[in-house]
Amino acid sequence: MFINWALQEINLKIVYYGPGMSGKTTNLEHIHQKLDPSLTGDLVSLKTKEDRTIFFDFMQIEVGRIKGKKPKFNLYTVPGQVYYASSRKVILNGVDGIVFVADSQPHRMEANIETLLDLEGNLKQDGHSLDNFPWVIQYNKRDLPGAEAIDVLQKRLNFFDVPNFEAVAVKGEGVFDTLKAVINLVVQNVQSQL
Amino acid sequence: MVQTKKLKDGSRQVILTGKQYDVITKVLSELATKTKASAILFADMSGQLISQRGSTEGMNTTVLSALAASDFAATSEMAKLVGEEAKFKLLFHEGEKRNVYLSNVGESFFLVVVFDVSVTLGLIRIYTKKAIEDLNTALEESGEEVDEGSMIDSDFSTLLGNALDDTFK
Repeated sequence: MFINWALQEINLKIVYYGPGMSGKTTNLEHIHQKLDPSLTGDLVSLKTKEDRTIFFDFMQIEVGRIKGKKPKFNLYTVPGQVYYASSRKVILNGVDGIVFVADSQPHRMEANIETLLDLEGNLKQDGHSLDNFPWVIQYNKRDLPGAEAIDVLQKRLNFFDVPNFEAVAVKGEGVFDTLKAVINLVVQNVQSQL
Repeated sequence: MVQTKKLKDGSRQVILTGKQYDVITKVLSELATKTKASAILFADMSGQLISQRGSTEGMNTTVLSALAASDFAATSEMAKLVGEEAKFKLLFHEGEKRNVYLSNVGESFFLVVVFDVSVTLGLIRIYTKKAIEDLNTALEESGEEVDEGSMIDSDFSTLLGNALDDTFK
């Protein structure tokens, strides 16, 4: 969190983390598409020719002034593929809250778990820990036939019992609920430590 | 010193006071005048733009700061891979019309100088070095203590919740 007292700006960094093709970029694309253009900046995507995120996506959103203060939210995604491990690590620098986008398809369970462990490891290096860090899980692709049951996903992935949301990011379902929840958690987290 | 707090969960909270912001902006203005740089940005390593000077209209400086921070982060990983123990201190991107010079300011901040190719790199280096010293001094000076409790109170979170509801309708 970065507070600029002179401008009364509060800046938060939210990172969307998750395995490859789980829908992190799709979340940001939906937010960018739906929000009033006066509240959102450009969505920048660093992609390969094959449309896969190579480094990150970035977008800043605002909600106007609140009690004279101007909160700004910087949203980032990380590349999901295993071999971009170091890119994922650097994007986490200065992170305030995380959305873990899990893929609901049964054959992606291992990838979900592996990425969650990767996240835990990267956070640890920065002195954070998943059990008291503000983060939420989004179970994406709920519309796909054969999607894993929520209680199975919960049991395998949500071992810290963080807020969780079902989503179909391509249709925008669950996208804003997830974002709102993580922002609220970050703000609560700051307040509880004042 | 910039007010930096480490929260229990390990996250970092950085607060820049009004006085520090004024000094930073003054240093950037001076640097812009002396170097005739097209644009100068001061940002923190997480990608957050703090202050800017020069003709930045039409330039998306929010995104530029985020990309520049990632540039730093990526090259410091590169430094490790090639056996350089310290981080690379400066990055230089050479274009046909414009060049970009990036240099760190302490551990947590950096400076981006965008300048025309007609301006010599030597000139940019000399004045940027001086500006970095001034910025470091400004950041180390103890500013007035700022009470962030007054910034983020419970009222604030309720109102923010409402604003998010409105925005995300």
